[in-house]
Amino acid sequence: MSQPIVALEKPPSPGAPHRAELPVAVERTLANGMRVIAFPQRSAPKAYAVPIIAAQLIVRGGASAETEAEAGLATLTTSLLTQGTVNRSAVEIAQAIDGLGARLDASSGYDASVASLTALTPVFPTAFALFDEIVRRPSFPQAEVERVRAKAIGDLALSYSSPSALARFVAQRVAFGSAPYGHPVAGTAETLATLDRERIVAFHAHYFRPDNATLIVGGDCVPEEAFALAERQFGDWRAPSAPLPVHAPSTPPPPRTRIVIIDKPDAGRTAVVAGRLGIARRAPTYAAGVVATAVLSGYSGRLNQEVRVKRGLSYGASAQLIARREPGLFLASTLVDHTKVEEAVGVVLDTLRGLASAPPEASELVTRKATISGGFSRSVETIDGIAGVLGELALYGVPLSELGDYLPEIEAVDPEMVQRFAAATFDEIFVVLVGDAEVFSAAIAATHPNVSVIPLDQLDLGQPNATRVP
Amino acid sequence: MTSTVSGAGIAVAPIDFTDRTLPNGLRVLLVEDHRVPSVAINVGYRVGGKDDPPGRSGFAHLFEHLMFKGTKNTRPETIDRLTEDIGGLNNAFTADDITNYYEVVPSNYLETLLWAEADRLGSLAVTEEHFHTERDVVIGEYDQRILAEPYGMLDELINREAFAVHPYRRGVIGDPENLRAATLDDVVAFHRTFYRPDNAVLVVVGDLDPAQANAWIDKYFGRVPKPAAPIPRVTAVEPPQTAERTYTYRAANVPLPAVEYAYHIPEWRHPDAPALDIVETLLGMGKSSRLYQSLVYRSRVATTAHANADLREQAGLFSLRAIASTGTPIEQVRAALDAEVERLHAELPEAGEMERVRTQIASSFVRSRQTYNNIAVALVRSAIERDDPGALNTDLDRYRAVTAADVQRVARKYLTLENRTTIDYLPL
Repeated sequence: MSQPIVALEKPPSPGAPHRAELPVAVERTLANGMRVIAFPQRSAPKAYAVPIIAAQLIVRGGASAETEAEAGLATLTTSLLTQGTVNRSAVEIAQAIDGLGARLDASSGYDASVASLTALTPVFPTAFALFDEIVRRPSFPQAEVERVRAKAIGDLALSYSSPSALARFVAQRVAFGSAPYGHPVAGTAETLATLDRERIVAFHAHYFRPDNATLIVGGDCVPEEAFALAERQFGDWRAPSAPLPVHAPSTPPPPRTRIVIIDKPDAGRTAVVAGRLGIARRAPTYAAGVVATAVLSGYSGRLNQEVRVKRGLSYGASAQLIARREPGLFLASTLVDHTKVEEAVGVVLDTLRGLASAPPEASELVTRKATISGGFSRSVETIDGIAGVLGELALYGVPLSELGDYLPEIEAVDPEMVQRFAAATFDEIFVVLVGDAEVFSAAIAATHPNVSVIPLDQLDLGQPNATRVP
Repeated sequence: MTSTVSGAGIAVAPIDFTDRTLPNGLRVLLVEDHRVPSVAINVGYRVGGKDDPPGRSGFAHLFEHLMFKGTKNTRPETIDRLTEDIGGLNNAFTADDITNYYEVVPSNYLETLLWAEADRLGSLAVTEEHFHTERDVVIGEYDQRILAEPYGMLDELINREAFAVHPYRRGVIGDPENLRAATLDDVVAFHRTFYRPDNAVLVVVGDLDPAQANAWIDKYFGRVPKPAAPIPRVTAVEPPQTAERTYTYRAANVPLPAVEYAYHIPEWRHPDAPALDIVETLLGMGKSSRLYQSLVYRSRVATTAHANADLREQAGLFSLRAIASTGTPIEQVRAALDAEVERLHAELPEAGEMERVRTQIASSFVRSRQTYNNIAVALVRSAIERDDPGALNTDLDRYRAVTAADVQRVARKYLTLENRTTIDYLPL
């Protein structure tokens, strides 16, 4: 076969683009203080009609509201919402949901606890009543508390066995220390063991109240129907007289260059995660941060080009900007052979510094912005996808018009804005390595400052320094 | 085509597709839908892990990677540039019977991607250097998915032990040693043998004008010649299993002991397939499923328990897999699985449970119709793995027709001890 040097035939050029019509979200506040957001089905010729309605209820209060000793409390509470109500046992809830062919989930992140539902249109009102029941009237049966807790502890063992997952947990600790985003959302085996039913009941009572909640309903119904459903189902929810929960801003430690190695000799490969304290979702530099991350991430992004395509060091490398209510985290990750760790760390750090030291070419930005636009368009292809985007906007205090404004804001980012973001962020970077330290730790220590090694049996994510107290 | 009504009384519109075959043998399926200004393009080839050449286990999958490595007209990764760089996506997967390539792009780029897919069917040209780099990447994928991932090796072991004769026993990901032995000549031969229009199905779903799309398809795909040589097909037939096979494997990175049962079942086109899907759902879908209720929720002998009716083109496997909870001996997990199988043999499921299962299947079916690419992948798989894309529109009717007696019948027929391969997968 000959080297493909000359393009003998060029790909045909595109035609004129067709525009996306996103549904417009509208909102109302119920008399009890609950914010309700509704959006309609999109209409289009020859559209395959999907008879689905989605709902999402978000309360402000998640893992960042926990103390260190209570790590995992929000997640434990939301996991239990579907495990018993004043009217139904866990089995009865599961059977009712499966019998309706609905999907009902509840989970917590750092900033919020979220319950979500999708159901086919004819059964939606029935499913919505059940949704209301699990949100407002969970009973937290003692036996379920024990069962969910035991399962959560078992799941931790499973997630710690993956080098990549473990590296991300450690990265949270390295970035945030004892600040609210430092401890794992899922808690630790030690903290979970101490959480009792009273604390769970108190957490629910404190945060699950109409004036601390946002409800999103949309899809195969017009907004007036969605508002009527919300009023009928949640209109009689009364806010308690206790004052609303107060949010205290966090003060994470200043970023510092360091390398933390978790020695896991049985790991198949070594997870490499470079990270740095990032920005809040509402930060003015958010759009620049998203574009900078897109320059680094994706198959054609710089990290994957350097790590996989040019050097074959890994199956992939990517970057992530996690923006929350408070400044979150920037992460660049890959997974490599134990013998390639030093090379991979160098390549990842050089790639990040490269973006900080020179603005990207305008042509590179055109293509990387297109990836953001395409990803966003796909995320709103489904009804629950649109509900999810609106939920994040509502949670982080971003206007709902952002649904339509997001892509124009991304378009407005120029090369200098990207470089400014990179220069401000890709400095004092930390690196977490989870793998067989014996193979690479000497080489890393010889070439990098501030290297520490934690044997796996000394790792405790419940501690701000991630190390077991002797 | 008629509208189908699911168990929950929901009218589900059929997927309205056109179906034609070009003179060179390429089958073309189109679905017009303008909800979102994008199109999903799928090109599925009737070649998968089972068709790997002798001594080249994993080759179909390695080849899938090489299809991104350039043609006479383009440099390597052109498909990535033409998709990702315009906000689209592309990927490919290799299964036992199919290798499928897909792109989702803004609809104004449809012609560009049709050209690119026809180009790599007609003129793939891979260099020695790219071949070596990509082979390392594939071996890296093996390390990542099979070695580093907890329980990653179990799927491989199940195929290897359950099939004595059929090449399904080699799995898809293959053997790193075989891959290291592969040469660029193998690549050329493989492309010539299997990548031909009469061995492929093209599906386009989304914001398209059918007349325009068909004209582009004729222009770019129509000029790829149909070779005269016959396409080699797997003719091996797995002999009926007559006694249980049991194995114990120990491996690093096994956090908790696991057990898997695999039973031989027929091919996807077989009339028993819908009943086997119903059994899978009844045992394994959702928290009201029998395995979850019994093993995870009530007796807590397992942290997870799954059922899978893995229906393939030529033969299938029905598997049950459970991961023990901390401190539970694996014998106890097996006993709990045995009790659930025994219950299927002994008792007819009640009407309410059958209704729940049908509603679950109908709902997940509707959910999966939300994106263009899901529709396209479903069409391409149905076209290749059961030679009948239209079967998608009658699947719900077939599920509705499955009775409680059918469930018991297929459980008694296939979920038997002598038809079973058992693997205990334990920590070192």
